[in-house]
Amino acid sequence: MKKISILLLFILLLSLLGSSVTFSQVLPKLPRHETLIVDALHGRLANPKDFNFWKPGVSVGNGTQQMLLDGLWYLDPQTGKTINALASSAPIYENNFKKMTVKLRSGIYWSDGKPFTADDVVFTVTYLMAHPGMSYSDAFNRYVSKVYKKDNYTVVFELKESVPAFHYLFTSIVYATCYIMPKHVFEKVQDPLKFEFNPPVSLGPYLLKQYDPQGYWWLFERRADWKRTSVGQLYGMPKPRYVLFIYYGPDEKKVMSQAQHQLDLIFDLTPEAWEILRKSNPYSRVWYKDFPWAWMDDVRARIMAMNLEKAPYNNKDVRWALTLATDIVDVVTSGFDGIARVNPLWICATESLLKEYYLPLEDWLKNFALEDGFKPWDPTVPDRIVDYAKKRGYTFSGNPREIFGIGWWKYAPDEAEKLLTKNGFKKVGGKWYLPDGTPWKITITAPANFEIHATRLAFAVADQWRKFGIDVNVETVEAGPFWNKWNLGDFEVGSYWEVPATDFYNFVQGYHSRFLKPTGQVATAGNQIRWKNPKLDALLDQLVNLQPESPKAKSIVMDILKLYVEEMPAPVFIINLKFNAQDHYYWTNFPTSDNSYMAPVWWWGQFKFILPFLQPTGRR
Amino acid sequence: MNFLKRYIIPRLIQYFIVIFIGITVVFLVPRLTPLDPVVTVLNRMTAYGAQYLDPSAIEKLKETMMELYGLKGNVLEQYLKFWGRLFKGDFGPSLSIFPTPVISIIMNSLPWTAGLLITVALLSWIIGNILGGLAGYYGDRNWAKILGLLAMTIYPIPYYIMALVLLILFAYVFPLFPMTGGYSVGLTPSFSLEFILNVLKHAFLPALSLILIGIGWWFLSMRSLTSTIVSDDYVVYAQIMGIPSRRILFQYVMRNALLPQITNLALQIGGIFSGSLITETVFSYPGLGQMLYMAINNGDYNLIMGIAVFSIVGIATAALLIDLLYPLFDPRVRYR
Amino acid sequence: MFLVIKDLYKSDKKFAFGFTVLMILIFLALISFLSPYDPKLWNVAPKNLPPSFKYILGTNSMGQDIFWNLTHAIKNSLFLGSLTAVISIFVGTLVGLVAGYLGGRTDRILMSINDSFIVIPSLPILILISSIIKQHISIVLIAVILSLFSWPWGGRQVRSIVLGLREREFTYTANFSGMDTLKIVLTEHLPFVIPWVMANFINTILWAIGMETTLAIYGLSSLETPTIGTTIYWALQYQALLRGIWWWIFTPVLIAILLFIALYLLSVSISNYLDPRTRLQRMRMKEGGLEA
Repeated sequence: MKKISILLLFILLLSLLGSSVTFSQVLPKLPRHETLIVDALHGRLANPKDFNFWKPGVSVGNGTQQMLLDGLWYLDPQTGKTINALASSAPIYENNFKKMTVKLRSGIYWSDGKPFTADDVVFTVTYLMAHPGMSYSDAFNRYVSKVYKKDNYTVVFELKESVPAFHYLFTSIVYATCYIMPKHVFEKVQDPLKFEFNPPVSLGPYLLKQYDPQGYWWLFERRADWKRTSVGQLYGMPKPRYVLFIYYGPDEKKVMSQAQHQLDLIFDLTPEAWEILRKSNPYSRVWYKDFPWAWMDDVRARIMAMNLEKAPYNNKDVRWALTLATDIVDVVTSGFDGIARVNPLWICATESLLKEYYLPLEDWLKNFALEDGFKPWDPTVPDRIVDYAKKRGYTFSGNPREIFGIGWWKYAPDEAEKLLTKNGFKKVGGKWYLPDGTPWKITITAPANFEIHATRLAFAVADQWRKFGIDVNVETVEAGPFWNKWNLGDFEVGSYWEVPATDFYNFVQGYHSRFLKPTGQVATAGNQIRWKNPKLDALLDQLVNLQPESPKAKSIVMDILKLYVEEMPAPVFIINLKFNAQDHYYWTNFPTSDNSYMAPVWWWGQFKFILPFLQPTGRR
Repeated sequence: MNFLKRYIIPRLIQYFIVIFIGITVVFLVPRLTPLDPVVTVLNRMTAYGAQYLDPSAIEKLKETMMELYGLKGNVLEQYLKFWGRLFKGDFGPSLSIFPTPVISIIMNSLPWTAGLLITVALLSWIIGNILGGLAGYYGDRNWAKILGLLAMTIYPIPYYIMALVLLILFAYVFPLFPMTGGYSVGLTPSFSLEFILNVLKHAFLPALSLILIGIGWWFLSMRSLTSTIVSDDYVVYAQIMGIPSRRILFQYVMRNALLPQITNLALQIGGIFSGSLITETVFSYPGLGQMLYMAINNGDYNLIMGIAVFSIVGIATAALLIDLLYPLFDPRVRYR
Repeated sequence: MFLVIKDLYKSDKKFAFGFTVLMILIFLALISFLSPYDPKLWNVAPKNLPPSFKYILGTNSMGQDIFWNLTHAIKNSLFLGSLTAVISIFVGTLVGLVAGYLGGRTDRILMSINDSFIVIPSLPILILISSIIKQHISIVLIAVILSLFSWPWGGRQVRSIVLGLREREFTYTANFSGMDTLKIVLTEHLPFVIPWVMANFINTILWAIGMETTLAIYGLSSLETPTIGTTIYWALQYQALLRGIWWWIFTPVLIAILLFIALYLLSVSISNYLDPRTRLQRMRMKEGGLEA
């Protein structure tokens, strides 16, 4: 009896195995060579059927914003250029920035055949204003006194006060923006907070074809009338007929999937996972062909944030001492195997911003000196990183200054010691003591299971400071508590990534002292490091009255960057990088270092503009 | 009648008290942590570059959201409101995926979790106990010793590693099974044979990983139980009497040894509502474990409570049923 | 005491094997005090070297010597597991014995408390609690928290054994001869419970180490302190499995297996030795030379 049942079990197993010979495709019913498979940013969604982006907290990076939604302008961080998508040109301001006129692109239609007109834009703004709790509602209510259309393709905004950067609300600078709602759908909706916008009506070049009720994948199909979208008009036909956004799981699975050519674009990988992928799939590429491979033009950079309301971090000398006690080349080589671009200023060293801000400031940096005359700038950093790479046997080509940054602060523990002893610190038996006699202990807060580079930076810096003689402990925290501590100021030193890029203008406004929230209260406006500086306030007061694109605004930004160097509120280390691996097996001509036509951001709304540039390789 | 009054009713009261205490603890603990669902959503918005020109706009949004989420009022008020809603069968909206009702999120993933975990529990219980009983009874045979060694080696392997190794071996190195998901992309769920086979194929590796560890546990505990019974008088007597070994094993020894095992099985089945987080993560298999984990990380009080209530009621009910039915299995037990 | 150990060692092969392995592991744990490296420091050795004469078990991707790291890991894991097991077995057995024997209202009250802890889903609460105490997290604290969740299982199972024993003749005999409850529970019932307790002890140690591994994989343990769990966490973080750095990922797994086998065999042979029924059996065997 038992033996028979075991036999039956075996037969069942064998038949399962037999039938699985045909399993291997992820998509049993779609033509693989016409499909682009993209990694889903948010992972598995608990509620995959909600496409109402305008509710706060809905995750749009799993394909919704890339394929279905569209906005007026997109600012590409790689090139620094603005794409006029639904708007046909830049905004026109009048009346001392109290009136903004936008001309819209004509010939654009929603996927259900209705035309896109100024009515949709006007409706979006008035509707959101009328329903508090929706995204952008409070912002629009704050600034907009009237919005109306002048004709079917011109919208006029009358503002309550002078807002030179009002158009930023409609520009996708980092990740997303206020996308435009279809008036003919939402005007019938009584309670938008409960409305799921399913099936969604698309303004982008794709339709939602199918999605997984368990929240793992979304399948989009190209619209037959793709010419009637902003993408179609600007760049032509998006090449993949189908786009599948899918979440495979942890890094190991993404690597294995791409190695099997079942995943074309990955959001991010750890350096080790990339190493495995690189070795198992010759078609995989990130940005550079050789070392250091990674895409290093992301829009944030990593800092050792310090709560400036807590002693001894409220002392500029202490902050500079901690900066000089760190050997950045050691951090980069032993913490990141040389794969990092150093980012000394309070703005990201991206391809476009290096040219716009770093190079003009280089002379000033070379001549910058601390109060005692010590000049901390070290331009040899990129070359030393290249030396390390060569010793490790990596092939390297290209300009070290473009790839690894133009320099950082010197490794000067002696100068650091001078700064500390000047302020009453004592070094006894190789260990540092605070002026009050107690041993100096630092706890660095770092992320526990996400943003791995931040954690590695924390450990690497902890190593440096320990060598210097400070007792350092790294405490890793889960996402929820990590961000709560940040906002409440419940940290001493934290490995955060609070440095802006092309969104500098908005970002820095929150650092004005009138928005400062002391430790213990939630810092709603940013400035979690609680930096208070009257010179900064004066500069910000000027900046808020200027248009972000004006040359005067840019020179004020430079002044702010210089102030940041002098005060060093939080040393900035390396720019955020991504191993957003591309598989060139079925598709090619993704943006890379040889062809950097756009930022390789598959998870941002602007991804749609990359699609017309892709080319099929012809493999089936 | 007497029995009913003296035993069953107090036992039922105990049942409700246990559920009450459990739910209260799970209600309080998240609110004692620094996790705040409103702040979490705000963080998510600002982390993804919500472009508010004036930072005071975010301030107002926070107020609006606290109203919306029903988080105004102190803990006691929220507690009473919670019980009020619960009696109406309403778990409220999820705070991290507002306003999707918690109950629909749970019902979406529950069939997958229940299907996988109940099947796994039953299969590993049956196989593990049979093998364990055999090994415990025929303790000296070589195959018993080898099985024992195998169980002892497999059981302590950390589950994550076991799952990962199985995945790499059978979905990558030898691509026999799918690497991800509950069913293939593009298929629509239906009751067709094609779909069912597809689901089974996808469930094979996750189930296998759980069953291997499960069998290890049931095997070892059953074996130790049987080996103590084997030396009991009545067993020796039966052997001397010439009753065939197989009959002694199955009808005498195992029936006695199974008693604690039944308790454990019931509790295990009652506990499936927390899902199996690691299985779901490694195999990208849909289930409640990930929902719960996500709820915890986002401070989503309502979703945590929803899943926890299911879990608590499930286990408590299983324990209650066992207690009430135990005299049926073991006639030796009498309650005072 | 030593005579007993010597006796068991000679006669029971299982005991011999388990005891030897355990002694080796404890030895390894003890020499961690002689370790030339501070386990918290990184980059004290070149990275990713395979085992060699200088680095017995090779080095990992953080530049640490795996062998010395492992000695610390064994020490910490053993300590964690034992502490959890001691606390939870103590509490659980006591509760189970008393509740099982006394029955009535005491039973119900104790079981209500017991069951409340069983029904609360452990992993979510553990994750929540770890996030609160993150700053002060240490091995001892983890052990205490883990034991909060492991004692009730013992409680229930001991109680069910006692329920069975309570109706046996020797219990009635003891009761009628005037023994008080506590004495009956401790002297008559406890010996029957001991085999179960020993099995539970082992399982609790392993459950504790396993839970700590699970928490560590989610980054919620004390990541800078080496334990079996955190070693696996770091190895997985650096993709040791797919990169072929097998010496890093398999050593903690191997240790976990060896630890389990050793403790398990020990517990089986000790409980066999202590169990009154098998003791009688052995005595009979010695006298009559019968086959069991």
